[in-house]
Amino acid sequence: MAIKSVKEVKRKEFYLFSPFLRIFHWIMASQIVVLFVTGLLITKPMNVGATEPVFTNTSMDLVRDIHFMAAFILCASLILRIYGFIINKGDRLFPRFWEGHFYEETVDVALHYMLLRGHHASFLRNPLARGSYAMLYVLLAIEIFTGFAMYLMVNPSSTFGKLFGWVNTLVGSEMMSHYIHHYVAWFIILFAIGHFYMVVRAEFMEGESEISSMFSGKKILAHNPKDANELD
Amino acid sequence: MEKRESLWEAYLRRGFSRRNFLKGCVALTSLMGFSTDMFSKVVEAAETKPLPVVIWIHGHECTGCDESFIRSGAPLASDVVLSSIALEYDHLLSAACGAPFEAHLDETIAKYNGQYILAVEGAIATKDSGVYCMSGGHTFTHLLEKAAKGAAAIIAYGSCSAYGGIQAAKPNPTGSAGIERFVGGKPVVKVPGCPPIPEVMTGVVMHVALFGTIPPCDSDGRPKQFYGNRIHDTCYRRPFFDAGMFAENFDDAGAKAGWCLYKLGCRGPETYNSCGNLRWWQGMSYPIQSGAPCIGCSNSNFWDEDPFTDRLPKYGKLGDVDKIGAALGVLTAAGVAGHAVASIVQRNQRENLIDEDHHE
Ligand code: HEM
Ligand code: HEM
Ligand code: SF4
Ligand code: SF4
Repeated sequence: MAIKSVKEVKRKEFYLFSPFLRIFHWIMASQIVVLFVTGLLITKPMNVGATEPVFTNTSMDLVRDIHFMAAFILCASLILRIYGFIINKGDRLFPRFWEGHFYEETVDVALHYMLLRGHHASFLRNPLARGSYAMLYVLLAIEIFTGFAMYLMVNPSSTFGKLFGWVNTLVGSEMMSHYIHHYVAWFIILFAIGHFYMVVRAEFMEGESEISSMFSGKKILAHNPKDANELD
Repeated sequence: MEKRESLWEAYLRRGFSRRNFLKGCVALTSLMGFSTDMFSKVVEAAETKPLPVVIWIHGHECTGCDESFIRSGAPLASDVVLSSIALEYDHLLSAACGAPFEAHLDETIAKYNGQYILAVEGAIATKDSGVYCMSGGHTFTHLLEKAAKGAAAIIAYGSCSAYGGIQAAKPNPTGSAGIERFVGGKPVVKVPGCPPIPEVMTGVVMHVALFGTIPPCDSDGRPKQFYGNRIHDTCYRRPFFDAGMFAENFDDAGAKAGWCLYKLGCRGPETYNSCGNLRWWQGMSYPIQSGAPCIGCSNSNFWDEDPFTDRLPKYGKLGDVDKIGAALGVLTAAGVAGHAVASIVQRNQRENLIDEDHHE
C-alpha cells in the first residue's frame, strides 16, 4: 500500500479562542509550574546551612517571593480570561449542565476514552473536557482564596486582610488553609498531566489541530461538530 | 447598693504611695497596649471607676489558665490585680466551698446584675445534655447560662472556652465546644492560649475593668493588641527562616545554634499570640526561644493538626501528601502511556476493518 502523502479533504475552520484566552492559557500553564515547584519548596525548604553569605539562591525569602510574584501574575492574567469570556462566544465553552444532552454526550465520550467504543461524536470541545476545565477553575479559585488568606494575614486587620481572612475561619484554622492549599496543588498537577495527555492524544488520533488551537485560536475539523451552534 | 472601691482607693487602703499608684498605672497603660498619651485617661479611670465584680467559672478544662494567671509578673498581677478586681467567685482560688459558696454565687449574680464581668475558663461539654461536666450539682452549661445572663462582659480565657480545647480533639467523646453558643448572643472576648500569657490575661480584664468596654477585637473576637500578629512575624528567629537556615533535628548543630524551627513543625507561621513580642515570665523566654517549635496553642483547631513536629500530616505507610501525590503522578503518567498504546491499537483495528471492507 503506497503512502498517500497528499490527499484532498474537506474541512471547516472554526474560530474558537480569542487571543486573550490564549495568552492567558500560556501564562497560566507556565505560572502553575513555577507555583508548584516553589510551593513544595516552601513546605520543605532546602537548607542552606551555615554557608556564607547567608543570602543564597535557595534562600526561603527568595523562593517565597517568586511564589508570590507568580501568584500575582496568575491572578492578573485572569483579567484576560474574563475579558475574552465577555467579548467572544468561543471562550464560553463551559459545561451546560442544564441541557439534557450534556449527560448523554458525556457518557458517550467517557465510553470512548475507556476504549469501550471505537469513537465519539465530534465536538468543538467535548463535554468531558469542558467539565475538567470547569473543575480546574474551581481548584484555581481555591488556591487563590487560601493563598491570599495566608499571604495577607501579616496584617489581618488591614482592608485586604479582612477581604480574605474569613477563608481561614471558614475552613477552621489557618493551618487548614495551608493543608488545603498544598493538597489542591497536587490535584492541579494531576489535572495537568491528564490534560497534557488528552490534548496530545486528540492531536494524534483525530488530527484536527487540537494543540495548535491554543496558539491560533482555530480548530480545523473534518466532521461537523455537534456543538457548532454554540459559536453563533 | 454598697459603694465599691476604685483602684486608687484600694491602694490608699493598703497604704501604698501615690508614686506607687502612678507606676502601676504606667504599667497598666503599656500592658493594655495604649500609647502614653492615654496615660491620663488610665489614671482618671483608676481613680474614679469602682473596681468591677468578677465571677470566674471553670468548665471542662485543666485549670492551667488559672495557674498561668496567678503567675502574672507585671506589677499589678498576682498581688494587685487580685485585690483590684473584686473577685467574688472563683472555683479554683476560693477558700470557701460547698453550699454556702454556691449560695454566694447566686447572691452575687442577683446583687450585681448587669454589672459584673464573667470570666470563663474551660469548654462546654455538649453531649448527653452536658453531664460530662458538672458544677455544684448542675451541668456546667446550666451554670454558664445562668451567669452569662446578667454579665456586663464575658471573657473566654484559654483555648478551651474559646474553641473547645484539648478535650475537643477527635473523636471528641464529650462534645466539647467553645462557650460562644451558650451565652445568649452576648459578645465574648476570646483570650485563647493553652494557657494564655499571664500578662495578656490581666491586660484584658483590666481593660474591661477600667474602661467598662471590651478592648478592640478582630473578627474572631480576640483582642487585637495581643492576637494581631502571627508569632512568625514577630519571632526573633525569622531571619534564619528567610535565609533558609533550619534545624533539621532537635539535637543537630542548627538546633544548638538557634536556627529556625520551621522544619521541626513550628506553627508560628499560622499562630496568633504575643509569645514573640511579650514572651513569657516577664519577657524571659518563650517556647521557640527554648528550642521547642510552636504548636499553635492559641489556634482554633490546633489539637487535631498533628504531628506537631512536622509540616504535613502522615498517613501511615503511605507517607505525607507529597509522597502520595508523587506516587499518583507516576501512576497517572503510566496510566496515560498505557492508554495511549491501547488507543493506537484500537484505532489500527478500526482502520484495518475499514480497509478490509474496501478490498471486498
Ligand atoms: C495554582 C496556583 C498555586 C499553587 C499550585 C500553589 C502551591 C503552593 C504550595 C504547594 C504551597 C506550600 C503550602 C504549605 O504547605 O504551606 C504554597 C504556599 C503558599 N502559597 Fe501558593 N500556590 C498557588 C497559588 C497561590 C496564590 C494565588 C497565592 C496568593 C498570594 C499563594 C500564596 C501562598 C502562600 C502565602 C503560601 C504559604 C507560604 C508560607 O507558608 O510561607 N499561592 N503554595
Ligand atoms: C504544555 C502543556 C499544555 C498544552 C500543550 C495545553 C494545551 C491546551 C489546549 C490545546 C487547550 C484547548 C483544549 C480544548 O479545546 O479542549 C487547552 C485548554 C486549557 N488548558 Fe491547557 N495546555 C497545557 C498546559 C496546561 C496547564 C499546566 C494548565 C493548568 C493547570 C492548563 C489548563 C487549561 C485550561 C483551564 C484550558 C481551558 C481553557 C478555557 O477554555 O477556559 N493547560 N490547553
Ligand atoms: S521558629 Fe517558627 S515562628 Fe520563628 S521564624 Fe521559624 S517558623 Fe517562624
Ligand atoms: S509559642 Fe505557640 S504553642 Fe507556645 S505558648 Fe506561644 S502560641 Fe502557644
